[in-house]
Amino acid sequence: MSLTLGRRWPASYPLALLIALLAIVPVGVLVGLASDSAELFDAHNLRVLTNTLLLMVFTVLGSVAIGVPLALITAYAQLPWRRLWLILLAAPLAIPSYIGAFTLYAAFGRGGEIQQLLGWSMPAVNGLPGATLVMTLYSYPFVMLTTRASLLSLDASLVNAARTLGMSIAASLWRVVLPRVATGIAAGALLVALYTLSDFGTPAIMRVDTFTRVIFVEYNAFGLSQAAMLSLQLLVIVGLVLFLESRVRGNKERPGRHLTLWPSRGQKLLMALVFAPVFVLAIVLPLLVFGIWLWREGTAGFDATYAWNSAHASFLAALVAVVLAIPVAHAAIAGRAGRFMERLTYFGFGVPGIVMGTALVYVGLQLPFLYQTLGLLVLAYVLRFLPLAVGSVRSTAEGLDPSLVKAARLLGASPREAFQRITLPLTIRGMVAGAALVFLEAMRELPATLMLGPTGFETLATYLWRVYEAGYFGRAAIPGLLLVLMSALGLALMLSGERRAEFDVTGK
Amino acid sequence: MSIQRSFAAPGGAVSVDQLPKLEGEITLYLGRGEGGLYENVLEAIRKRNPKLNLKIRRGATAALANSIVAESKAGVKRADVFWAVDSGAIGLISDAGLARPLPADLIAQLRPGFQYTQWAPVTGRVRTLPYNTDRLTAEQIPESVMALADSDLSIGWAPAYASFQSFVTAMRLLEGDKVTADWLRAIKARATTYAGELGVVMAVERGEVDLGFANHYYTLRLKNGKPDAKVALGFTKNDAGCLVNAGGILALSDGDLPINFIRYLLTEEVQSYLASEAYEIPLVEGAKPPQGLPPLDSISPPKIDLTQLADLRPTLNLMRRVGVL
Repeated sequence: MSLTLGRRWPASYPLALLIALLAIVPVGVLVGLASDSAELFDAHNLRVLTNTLLLMVFTVLGSVAIGVPLALITAYAQLPWRRLWLILLAAPLAIPSYIGAFTLYAAFGRGGEIQQLLGWSMPAVNGLPGATLVMTLYSYPFVMLTTRASLLSLDASLVNAARTLGMSIAASLWRVVLPRVATGIAAGALLVALYTLSDFGTPAIMRVDTFTRVIFVEYNAFGLSQAAMLSLQLLVIVGLVLFLESRVRGNKERPGRHLTLWPSRGQKLLMALVFAPVFVLAIVLPLLVFGIWLWREGTAGFDATYAWNSAHASFLAALVAVVLAIPVAHAAIAGRAGRFMERLTYFGFGVPGIVMGTALVYVGLQLPFLYQTLGLLVLAYVLRFLPLAVGSVRSTAEGLDPSLVKAARLLGASPREAFQRITLPLTIRGMVAGAALVFLEAMRELPATLMLGPTGFETLATYLWRVYEAGYFGRAAIPGLLLVLMSALGLALMLSGERRAEFDVTGK
Repeated sequence: MSIQRSFAAPGGAVSVDQLPKLEGEITLYLGRGEGGLYENVLEAIRKRNPKLNLKIRRGATAALANSIVAESKAGVKRADVFWAVDSGAIGLISDAGLARPLPADLIAQLRPGFQYTQWAPVTGRVRTLPYNTDRLTAEQIPESVMALADSDLSIGWAPAYASFQSFVTAMRLLEGDKVTADWLRAIKARATTYAGELGVVMAVERGEVDLGFANHYYTLRLKNGKPDAKVALGFTKNDAGCLVNAGGILALSDGDLPINFIRYLLTEEVQSYLASEAYEIPLVEGAKPPQGLPPLDSISPPKIDLTQLADLRPTLNLMRRVGVL
């Protein structure tokens, strides 16, 4: 009897399968749309492809160039207020890159805020170099954090051996430490690549014709089939990056003593001088620009319902995502087929918001009761950010000691009761964390909200975009600051998670 | 169509006090581009009519026009009225047979030459070449927009903006597709793209580019806020470069509410507000033209029927083909 039980599908499978199938519906829709009348490829596409790839490659290079040294410093260097430096250097993650693009665009250039304030004539930040700068400033923390995590898991004794054998600090970092964290760096770099591919606001504001921007133009002309074709081309690249990412696996070393570096006063000063511009450009400048606008124009035009709408829709998305994540996460733990279903839902995270929007607009037109409803918008958020919830729920569920559930079952509890009384209470933390992540991502999502939102439904992100398009930059202050504030909460959540990991490593 | 003559006759516009109160729910698709000024008008209408539940969907005019057509094809109707900043987008809707006819008394309020049965022009605008006064003098502005293709000036434009697309449509009708495509290609080589035409004018003023393509009012508004702004209006002669176009509104649903809503936009109050604050040209009989626009008899717009500007699809295809969209 036990054999037949073992062969039966786990209870979470049917639901998980359904959710996984739902997650790939947008891709099916796009294929159907694109086969309609779209041109596969022309000279214009080649330019778009080139721009997209160049932006991705340059951003990855820039992020590695900034992120890896910062990871070394924050992991190993003994500096006063280490915790504070880490938070400050990771802070760009709290700012959606389109806010950075917006403020940098407004601050630099002829007649920009810097010139108005200080009278210095500054070069304009726009085009491919501008977009690369902005994307690098806001995505290097991915590389910094993944690299730092790898660095913290290393044992210092190899470095000490190298040092005893006469290698300098710099040489031993280069030849002993870095090769061992290559996978950490690669993981961060791939995240950066993914983020760059899916971003819409930055290329639009910097006026670079990347896939996301051109898709938006096509959608606006209601060239849905051409937009779908471009979306599929973008998805091929995204799929490639996702594949590479799945190949990158961290090699775990048995953690040992941490490497500690004691920089001299001059070296500290040098570090500060080199990295201050990064912090100033990514954090200080946007906040300063918003501050100036707030002071100059006040809160004119802003309506508290924008913030409420953002919070409301994002909250619904977070709730639905977590509810859907539970069966998927449990299926993933239950077996190979479940793991495959989980992989399918991960696809949504690689689908840029603009692509999701294009697909769901079409779905809405076919299903009028969904068109321009909050429900469709929430569905878009859920499909995109479900993996965040799944990942979070699964990792806490995996951490559970299975013997607890077995003990409960042995004592006569039904599977349902064991889940309710053992599994659920112990995984609630993961659910809350997952929900928070979905909430924050949904709050920042711009293109899908623009395309799918109900009539009259203005969120912080769409209001910010409207203000940008109309040229009333001053009115961006309040929604911009609110978005940054909300995102900062998400960052705090992430860092508190990382601190736990760090304590684990050091055995405290 | 003579603008000078149409400005002469006084009377025609009614006051909001004479209009019935608006009640019920209505969805407006608002082609944006005018920033807060249209919003202010709508806010005033809302305040006057507390029982009106006005829902507004904002978007680029061409995008909303396309949405309306796509929605009707899919059998999904959402918009009751469509306020477009450009007559090309309006023509797209009325050509699709979606616009409801307007009552004769409403049409009669409009200036001769701007009376249509399917839609009501709200305000007019002239295509201009705003130029940086530090870099150029009025004499250096070519008389023909076609001549710009052979100049070595740096240019700012907003190809995604509906008014620009109507301008290209006018050029297509006047000069033909091939000439227009060549012209677009030549300009593109020297052009910087902006999101909207306010952005174009601001860039001209900052000196990012020598000259731009924009509707007249952006320059006037900028100069109103900044009298010493280094920008002036340039006009071409007898070609698409000085096209006189109109933004307007049409009803997509039957019933009195959409029609009465349209009446509000044609009142003296709204018309003079849009003239004095937005520097747009009022199109209701009797309302005064905006300050700062050069004498209209010095402008020689091409002879084109505005409804022909609805032929937007070939324009979009052409712009896409040469890679400016």
